[in-house]
Amino acid sequence: MRLRGSRFAPVPGAPLLEARDVAVTIGGKPILHGADLTAEAGQLVAVVGPNGAGKSTLVRAIAGLQPLSGGSVRWSGVDVRELRGRTLARLRAFVPQRARVPEGVSVREAVRIGRSPHVGPLQRMTRADHEAVERALARAGVAAFAERRLTTLSGGELQRVQIAVALAQEAPVLLADEPTAHLDLGATATLARLLRGLTGEGLAVVLVVHDLALAAAIADRVVVVHAGRTIAAGAAHDVLDAGRLAHVWQIDAELESTSDGRTALHVNWLGGGAPAPPPPPFLQENEPHPEERTSAR
Amino acid sequence: MSAVEAAGPEAGKHRGRRPLAPRARQVTLAVAAAVAVVAAAIASLTLGAVHVPLSAVLDALTGQAHEGPLKQIVLELRLPRVAEAIAVGAALGVAGALLQGALANPLASPDVIGVTGGASFGAMLVLLAFPSAIALLPVGAFAFGLLATALVFALAATGPRGASITRLILAGIAMTAAFQAATTSLMTAFPDRVQSAIFWLAGGLTTTSWSNLEVVWPYLLIGFALALALMRPLDRLALGDDVAASLGARPRTIRLASALAACLLAASAAAIAGLVTFLGLFIPHVVRMASGTSAHTYVVPTSALCGAALMCAGDTLARTVAAPTELPVGPLMVLIGVPLFLYLLRRAT
Repeated sequence: MRLRGSRFAPVPGAPLLEARDVAVTIGGKPILHGADLTAEAGQLVAVVGPNGAGKSTLVRAIAGLQPLSGGSVRWSGVDVRELRGRTLARLRAFVPQRARVPEGVSVREAVRIGRSPHVGPLQRMTRADHEAVERALARAGVAAFAERRLTTLSGGELQRVQIAVALAQEAPVLLADEPTAHLDLGATATLARLLRGLTGEGLAVVLVVHDLALAAAIADRVVVVHAGRTIAAGAAHDVLDAGRLAHVWQIDAELESTSDGRTALHVNWLGGGAPAPPPPPFLQENEPHPEERTSAR
Repeated sequence: MSAVEAAGPEAGKHRGRRPLAPRARQVTLAVAAAVAVVAAAIASLTLGAVHVPLSAVLDALTGQAHEGPLKQIVLELRLPRVAEAIAVGAALGVAGALLQGALANPLASPDVIGVTGGASFGAMLVLLAFPSAIALLPVGAFAFGLLATALVFALAATGPRGASITRLILAGIAMTAAFQAATTSLMTAFPDRVQSAIFWLAGGLTTTSWSNLEVVWPYLLIGFALALALMRPLDRLALGDDVAASLGARPRTIRLASALAACLLAASAAAIAGLVTFLGLFIPHVVRMASGTSAHTYVVPTSALCGAALMCAGDTLARTVAAPTELPVGPLMVLIGVPLFLYLLRRAT
């Protein structure tokens, strides 16, 4: 892969994306220590793990948006720290968990923003750039409402616009942080088909996702992040067995797949797995906290 | 199903709701603003205590006029004033557009980064405490405007957790309050001189020479040049800092540069015309509401045109409506601007 107007020199034979032993410390607090992830063209990699495990931080670190305190992230063998912003923006697109929804901006204008890494500081968009924007609008299925304002869109439509913004970058890797959060079933399925379709066209997609049944259905590889580390990576059924579900999520659950592509997570919602939580404060004895007692005196 | 049918219902609904296509609306507004600037400038050059016919104005501007009072009035009294009005209006329009974009806050204006409060204190310091040095008025207003903004940024943008927009705005409001208190204290200390300060506080163009512009033109130039360079980077902030950063932009740098440009422009405007900085708040809103777009590549230059047109027209009215008394242009523009603003606000979706 070569990039026009950039000194990016990929190492032959190196994986498209390789994160090794990534450590991130934010405000003195270690968030990640020993997180690994690799992705190849045409692969969909799902990053799963409980809330606060460090999934988002890992994806942001891979994207070059979060400085590393240890380990390495390499894009086609080149260290992410050696890549300038605009070069990096042509290697990977990043869809954040919650993008801002500005007023007075149409879908097409938003997708044009995604094209900006290809447009020099003092240049205008060329015809090729405009065509790339139209392709991205069409591929994400948002061309029909390209003139509408972002503020008038539904959650599912908005999320597909975010994908279109990313596609306009024409980068070989798409990183998305929980794109299906807050979407209904239909919108989730539409987005899943879109992302899976993109891998069919040669893109690598790295997806942070909470829904394990969804991850099992669409991912080639699942990376399990727990307490800041990658504890398992591989095919969904190998890494998401009942033992790991109990260990990582503290649930009694089992993943099921049928040959026609349906997946389900059978969860024993009210029983087993987790140790009984402490009783809520209002059920505890109404006794002031020791510190409060001292300060009252 | 044909492509026309597929596009049919959406496109039809779209057209039915808006009388003009978005692009046509934008072009119409920009052209109208440009025409208004020219018309207001012509009115300002011809109207006044002495009526100068348009032909005489053109002769004077093209250097074909004979020496005489008409030429003198046009070139030495009215032309500087028109130039000041256009510069001040454009500077405030651009400053507001930059700040509202950079801080992603519709309430942002030169007031919130402290520049207005600082400039009023600087002006009052010269007017009240050192009235013999009245020539330093624009310098004082400009210098304290910059100082206040620098303090706001020093307080909000440093420290362990870096700058956040909220911290910046709150620091700006606090700094404005501090400078306002200092201004009020000055006024209490020199009650007999307050009379001379009122016109500056009301806002308006008083001078009839090039002296003000001679002081501030380099800063205006830097401010406008920065604004031009920042229009597209600001558009990239529209989808939030994460998206902007992932596209290779530097949100913090863009914000700092925008605030610096806005501060230079607003301090220059205050140095020339006193407190008319509210123009910076409402001109960009008028442009966005009337044009239907928030793209900075459109809003910034069109805000410059609209600001220049309003300031120039307001100043002409202020000079002529109750001649020979000159009304302060600030309150007059509020009278014109607020009804327009409220009308657009009610209509905006």
